[in-house]
Amino acid sequence: MKTVTEEGVFAEKTLKFKLNQRDKLYSETGHYWGVKELTLKEQDPIRYERFFSRLQSSVFAAREKARFVAASPGGREMGESLWALTTAEGDTLAISLGFISHAAAFPVSIKHMTDNDFEENPGINDGDVFGADDPMTSGAPHPGDTYTLVPIVIEGEVLAWACSVNHIMEAGAPQAGSWPVFTVDTFMDGFVFPPMKTGENLRQAKWWENLWMRRTRAGAMNVLDDKMRLAGCSMIHHSLHEIIKEYGVEYYRQACKEIIEESRRMILDNMRSTMVPGQYEGSCFRISMLKGQQKIWPHADKDELIHVHGVLSVDKKGSLVWDTEGSSRWGYHGFNGYPGGADVALHLQMTTTFAHNVKATGGVNMNVESIYHKGSIYNPDTEFASCANIWAQSMQMECVAGNAIHLSFFMRGYLEEAFAVDDAWEGIQGSGVLDDGTPYGFTNFEWVGGTAMGAYSFKDGMPTAWCSHTQLCNIGNSEEFEYLIPPTHHLGRKLEPGYCGHGKHRGGIGQTAVHWMKETGQRLGVTRGGVATSLTSYVSLGMNGGYPAPGVVTVTAKDTNLDEVFAAGGDTPTTAGELLEYAKEGKITGNVKGWKYDPPEQSMGEDDLWANAAGGSGGWGDPLERDIDAVVEDIRIGQVPEGFAKVMYGVVATKDENDLVILNEPETKAERERLYARRRSESIPAKQWWAEERKKIIEKNMRNELLVMYRKSVCFDGYNKHFKEFWQLDEDFEI
Amino acid sequence: MEQVDKGLMKKLVDGKISDNDVMEMRRMVKKDHKRFWTYLEVLQEGVSWDENILMRLNDHLYIVSKGNNERVVKCDCGHEYGDFRVNWKLNADLRVRETQEQMDEAYFPAIAAPEASWMEIREYFCPGCTAQLAVEIVPPGYPMIFEALPDLDRFYREYMSRPLNDESIEWFQNKTAEETAKLKMNI
Repeated sequence: MKTVTEEGVFAEKTLKFKLNQRDKLYSETGHYWGVKELTLKEQDPIRYERFFSRLQSSVFAAREKARFVAASPGGREMGESLWALTTAEGDTLAISLGFISHAAAFPVSIKHMTDNDFEENPGINDGDVFGADDPMTSGAPHPGDTYTLVPIVIEGEVLAWACSVNHIMEAGAPQAGSWPVFTVDTFMDGFVFPPMKTGENLRQAKWWENLWMRRTRAGAMNVLDDKMRLAGCSMIHHSLHEIIKEYGVEYYRQACKEIIEESRRMILDNMRSTMVPGQYEGSCFRISMLKGQQKIWPHADKDELIHVHGVLSVDKKGSLVWDTEGSSRWGYHGFNGYPGGADVALHLQMTTTFAHNVKATGGVNMNVESIYHKGSIYNPDTEFASCANIWAQSMQMECVAGNAIHLSFFMRGYLEEAFAVDDAWEGIQGSGVLDDGTPYGFTNFEWVGGTAMGAYSFKDGMPTAWCSHTQLCNIGNSEEFEYLIPPTHHLGRKLEPGYCGHGKHRGGIGQTAVHWMKETGQRLGVTRGGVATSLTSYVSLGMNGGYPAPGVVTVTAKDTNLDEVFAAGGDTPTTAGELLEYAKEGKITGNVKGWKYDPPEQSMGEDDLWANAAGGSGGWGDPLERDIDAVVEDIRIGQVPEGFAKVMYGVVATKDENDLVILNEPETKAERERLYARRRSESIPAKQWWAEERKKIIEKNMRNELLVMYRKSVCFDGYNKHFKEFWQLDEDFEI
Repeated sequence: MEQVDKGLMKKLVDGKISDNDVMEMRRMVKKDHKRFWTYLEVLQEGVSWDENILMRLNDHLYIVSKGNNERVVKCDCGHEYGDFRVNWKLNADLRVRETQEQMDEAYFPAIAAPEASWMEIREYFCPGCTAQLAVEIVPPGYPMIFEALPDLDRFYREYMSRPLNDESIEWFQNKTAEETAKLKMNI
């Protein structure tokens, strides 16, 4: 018997009922909404596919048009946006190009609104506009990623949501830009808001625009992006009403379930037909160097090495389980996240890898169980953890999972799909005041949209070729948004020679830029957001004897002699490496500093420089097995310096006065033999090493930050067991 | 392309395949299920020893069946690392780069190298042929990473429909701790 709520809606049509029923049926049957037969598809496949293509077209059209209705230059040009249509429960039905893995976040917002009785207060009506960017309640990775959700409601029943997300131009935190590093808790994350109603009838409230203008440093840009997201959602909203009118509500309800179930099955089949069941372990690290910079908040005034540990396994069905036990406890820094945001990172890898030939729906999410232990960096046992910059380590986490998958492909023989997975993104950010007193904030997406691709077992990785977080790799062009950052100009933007993980096949060479500050106005402060700095590697494991990708490098130069260099017609540096070299040679004078960790905000003035190198990818295989001609070619095209080629690859070759590379074959043979001999003389049996290294643990003979790191990992029982069993430590041993 | 034949597979394994062929492989609507057997055939022909390869772990390492209820890790040079359920790295040779000078040799420009005292670079070599089999960049004191422990029986039975003769639930377990327990006894 059907019951009726106070609002006069059948209880069976409420979000609360739908969410519970979906979970119950899935848990009982293993099928989405208990759908075992794809009846509509079987009865009339053409109608079924036509129905889906209408849904798909609506989200594609939304993305392609909304960006030209109103958008910040970053919103319009970058791949960092997404439009989607979801079921009432938030499961994705159709998704545009772009930030695809954010499909993992939509259900979090919708569950939050459902659990908090939004249907009663403030009410969920057709064409209402909701917004969210709070990592804990909305699934957003960080407040820079901002969501708009518009319900499609017919006769009081929520049938679907039009959703959108994009990375805005400035997030309003004390540290300007998109990815604050120097935060203590969520109150320093910037403009954070849980899911809330911000408009009605497909129109935002005026107060909402005022909030953007008052609480962020790029208010006008962020309002434009808000309009962009809503314009696309409005289009989807309109389309879905038309589609439902044509097909009928009953068809719509059943077809949605079948589409997601069909997709779930096909993705599971993709996993089973490419993976080898088993367990795959990996890890990565990320430094948080805050000592001396958080003196007002002494509990945050420390350096921490964040440990990310994961084991990927294949469950009985053949779907994947990603267990992050051992990853550090959360801390008073900006690198924490909540499960929804962590999933958005993890699903980057899962969606692109397993949903490439199917309807990319919420079926992806159902095939990956992610385990984020309570208290950890991915599931803080506090509501106040800062999540300003989870991307600064979660991108590494998803690549650890990706490398495990790719190793499995390699083991099964699908070598054409198996490469070293890295995504060492970088973005500079900051704020300033122009000479006329105009304040501004900015994010430079230059190295956000793409990196080099890692090496395969049979070929080198390509530079500037891909991006794990969007299919719309966007790199190397001069973008409009760059012209909106007044004082930065390029002295160089190119590949950084030698900057990759080396191996039998080397990773794609990373990119570098040298930003020259000119007419800096009354004030200019610059910092960076981005993944692992070069104090650590990008991930811990190289592939099959290759070296993992390097972390990101920053070089700053202040009070330089650049004016004199220009006047004398001298060379100016075009890469981060060159800047350091020129400083060493005295060609550039002033305060030149290379950073292997996040620099605190640098106050930049006239003729100061900010250079970086990012996006280098990992190698594959033993470097001494690299084809000699390939090394010679690298020297010829300037991608591997001669001296480094000798040390890494044992190849002795020189460039003559005409830039021709001459290989010294006898010397190369001798050098390779010498390097093999050196390996033998400098290595010891690993078992002997085990005994020596164990002593370091027992005697706690390492820097204190590492001891703290281990403590923040062994506080999780499973990892404690793993750690103690490997080192054979007594039960009561405490590190 | 629906199936990768042995000739093409060999080219892929040897790194002599054309970019066009790789693209065709990537465009396959569904991966060829039989590929695994072709892969094993090519790999088996590439080694000088006779034990059956059950699974490739690495450019150089394989899990092989010794026939007498033994499944061990073996290098293409012939060196054996023992039971595949124990992290093979424990039976490799190991060089640790721990000073900044040593670490700077592995990356260019040198500022891209990890920072000594925070991290160390572990390079695992085959005691038989000195090939570099793995690289880990981790803090001192970090347990060796056990990169892959395949569930061979499940794979052969459920995924490939050809169960192995010596199937047992005992095969899918991590025995590294048993090995380190023995090491402790010898200290």
